Amino acid sequence: MMPVLEVHDLVTNYITRQGNVDAVSHVNFTVEEGQTFGLAGESGCGKTTAAMSIMGLLPSNGRVMGGQIILDGEDLLKKDERELRKIRWKKISIVFQGAMNALNPVLNVGEQIAEVILEKEEITKNDATDRVRELFDLVEIEPSRIVDYPHEFSGGMRQRVMIAMALACYPKLVIADEPITALDVIVQNQILDLMKDLQRKLNLSQILITHDLSVIAETCDKVGIMYAGKLVEYADAGPVFKTPIHPYTSALIGAYPSIVGEKKTLNFIPGSPPNLINPPRGCRFHPRCPYAKDICSQEEPGYVEEEPGHYAACHFVTELRERLRLED
Amino acid sequence: MGCFDMGFKEYVGKRTLHGVVTIFLAVTLNFILFRIMPGDPTRAVSGDPRVDTATRLALIAKFGLDRPLFEQYFIYLYNLLRGELGISFVQIGRPVIDIILGRKMVNTIILMGSSMFIAFILGIVAGVFAAWRRGTKIDIFFIVFSLATYSMPVFWFGMLLLLFFSYYINIFPIAGTITPGVVHANFFEYAKDYLHHLMAPMITLGVSFFGGYFLFMRDTILDVFTEDYMLTARAKGLSNRNILFKHAMRNALLPMVSLMGVHITFLISGATMTETVFSWDGLGRLIYDSVRNNDYPVLQGIFLLMAVLVVVASILADVVNAFLDPRIKEAVD
Amino acid sequence: MAQERLTKGSLRRERFSTSVRRLRGFWALYKQSHIAMFGLFLVLAFIAVALAAPWVAPYDPRALVGKPFERPGEDHILGTDQVGRDIYSQLIWGSRISLMVGLFASVFSVAIGTAIGLVSGYLRGPIDTVLMRITDLFITLPSIPLMLILAAIIGRSVWNIILVIAVTGWTGTARMVRAQTLSIKERPYVEAARSVGARDSQIMFRHILPNIIPLIFANAIVGIVNAILAESGLSFLGLGDPTKPSWGLILRHANEVGAMATGRLWFIIPPGVCIMLIAIGFAFSSYSLDQIMNPRLRERRG
Repeated sequence: MMPVLEVHDLVTNYITRQGNVDAVSHVNFTVEEGQTFGLAGESGCGKTTAAMSIMGLLPSNGRVMGGQIILDGEDLLKKDERELRKIRWKKISIVFQGAMNALNPVLNVGEQIAEVILEKEEITKNDATDRVRELFDLVEIEPSRIVDYPHEFSGGMRQRVMIAMALACYPKLVIADEPITALDVIVQNQILDLMKDLQRKLNLSQILITHDLSVIAETCDKVGIMYAGKLVEYADAGPVFKTPIHPYTSALIGAYPSIVGEKKTLNFIPGSPPNLINPPRGCRFHPRCPYAKDICSQEEPGYVEEEPGHYAACHFVTELRERLRLED
Repeated sequence: MGCFDMGFKEYVGKRTLHGVVTIFLAVTLNFILFRIMPGDPTRAVSGDPRVDTATRLALIAKFGLDRPLFEQYFIYLYNLLRGELGISFVQIGRPVIDIILGRKMVNTIILMGSSMFIAFILGIVAGVFAAWRRGTKIDIFFIVFSLATYSMPVFWFGMLLLLFFSYYINIFPIAGTITPGVVHANFFEYAKDYLHHLMAPMITLGVSFFGGYFLFMRDTILDVFTEDYMLTARAKGLSNRNILFKHAMRNALLPMVSLMGVHITFLISGATMTETVFSWDGLGRLIYDSVRNNDYPVLQGIFLLMAVLVVVASILADVVNAFLDPRIKEAVD
Repeated sequence: MAQERLTKGSLRRERFSTSVRRLRGFWALYKQSHIAMFGLFLVLAFIAVALAAPWVAPYDPRALVGKPFERPGEDHILGTDQVGRDIYSQLIWGSRISLMVGLFASVFSVAIGTAIGLVSGYLRGPIDTVLMRITDLFITLPSIPLMLILAAIIGRSVWNIILVIAVTGWTGTARMVRAQTLSIKERPYVEAARSVGARDSQIMFRHILPNIIPLIFANAIVGIVNAILAESGLSFLGLGDPTKPSWGLILRHANEVGAMATGRLWFIIPPGVCIMLIAIGFAFSSYSLDQIMNPRLRERRG
């Protein structure tokens, strides 16, 4: 399998009056063709910043300080705005939270999808409109609704429109940033099923960003857990959930109640994520980690490949592995 | 799409009804104001020394000025519907309605319309540009310019314009709508002269409004820039021109149109001052002259006319706004 | 720590010190904005001039102290007007009129607007509808013509100008206060007060009003700018007291004697500059008020 996207050592900062926010700190991951990569973590951990860095859509005070983002053999970080604009949507697209405002309220949805097709491809208006209809079909919306306006759709339908729009130019990679968080539970399921379906049908490569581990468990092939700007665990989905090796991952999973199985007290992680203008020395998780030792506050842990393809950034991976398994 | 028509028509209907109620209230206020004046209540209609006895008697009969106030009110309404607004004290015998619905009204509408038009167009373009190039010298220049013109009394600005462009550099004529005493060969010549005279007052009024439109447009566009759909547009890799004009401006224009509806009142106020400075023969000038000459019937007539004009203009602005914004139908249905 | 008795006095003292603390914090924020400080400086300068007028003005503004149309020179810094009065003195004394009209008219119009907005928003129902229709009416009517007509009816004087400006300018405040009242009315503490049996007037004045005072204050400052501009306009059109020197009046004289056509700069430019500066002063002073007041309101929002 060929990698579609390779992110090497990505560092992104936000420049604020109070100081530099180290939002994404030396993050590495790879997305293979036809795979769904899940990027998970609490709010503020840097996952959306990472996505925006990839798309080149950081706000004016955001800066990529280092690293490489290789899409289709080319480093996106070396490109200027004009080249990036050409790549956007054609090779890589993004599905935002389909809140009311992600779609322009004064243009009808068909227009919003067609415009990007027309801008990126040599195609007639009629053909573009036909494609929009096909896309609606794909996401299970009545094709006649392409002339309707965003406010005429329900939340779940709007999300389908966003998905249709993201697929409009048949991109190589689709990023989905919290695609179902803003929807109610039943609709969440529908959209999730749709996304899984599309992924299968079109052999899509995806990055799925969310704080909801259950979604990741259901849909992702590979998972990266982020905390305070760092990637702390990285592996295929199965091993991450069955045998997590980073204390944070284990705590996250433990924080989810299980419907089957015996009743346990819910674990929550005491404390709150650190201020990234002045992150803690050493391992960023150490202030909240129940297993922290002296070295954790002095040296940053490197990646340890505990098992083939299963990485974690912790000093005590091997020692904790058994302990964490027992505690689950 | 059938529901669009019904919702829209309903909206127009509701809005028009609103407007009618407002006009009715204005009519009533007009009546009250001019009948409860200090002194003789008929002073406003007929009790002026300039009116001769015969005419006065005729007016008393027509407006029922010898009847109780309550009855007078209904007679007043009835006369209104017939277009009977009394006669002027200054131009003795001439019906008020003749005076106001004529040349003067046209002159004022031309002045107001042209000023608002250029202020609007320039304000939008400058606003979009300044928002796009936020913080640059040109942005700051426009902001300072707008603040300066906003704090400038409009009549003073007119006086300055006259001072510099009529006295120092003779481009603009001093006063009036056309050069007095000249007979024009044809309509084209006449139009040229008229437009020449229109320049200074139009620039005065236009500049005084430009500031408001510019700042509002700039603010609105900056607000729009923070909306999520702008990020979506950027993410789609659309061209700058596309993003700015198709996505941002269309959204920003909506509140602008509403603003214009509200601004009609300010436009009339500004026109009043401008016409006075430039002796532009319009309704504003007429108000000023009538106040000076205590020509109450004419004042009443203008009051009503203005109320009607403003209501009609604001209904139009709201309707256009509803037409452009697909979301408003929702509020109606 | 010894238990302090919770008396009316102690509560009042506590409220006072909290207010003082808040004001200090507010001032610290305000000081940061250059624009606001510049505006404040202008305003204070004009107030100082207005208060010190009898001592600062070289001549009695109404006295004929020179030849007509004298150009600026030694005797008269800004020359004389069409009958020989000193323009510089008129400018100094004119600041009193502008400030007085500006402040009073704005305060009155804000008072009217607040009363109407509060009552309308709190009581709702038919009273609300009627008051709002009346508000719509006043918004519809153009202010200058309306003021002209009112002045024609009630006569010309400075107090009438104040009255006329106040009566035509309250609508903005009314709408805003009503909107705020509607939202504050729904808050838990208002409901609590009502369930304890507080009278309507108590609720309106003790609970709702204090919360909207910052916004009212900001409105009042903006109102001053409009009032000053309106006053100059009305004086220009001849509706002021011809015996009281006002900047608009000076310009009226200038217009009447065709100063533009004869190039008498000193007659035309200074009064307008004064109006501009004082308007800018108030406008700038209110510049960061919004930003300072708003976040605090946002904090309180539920």
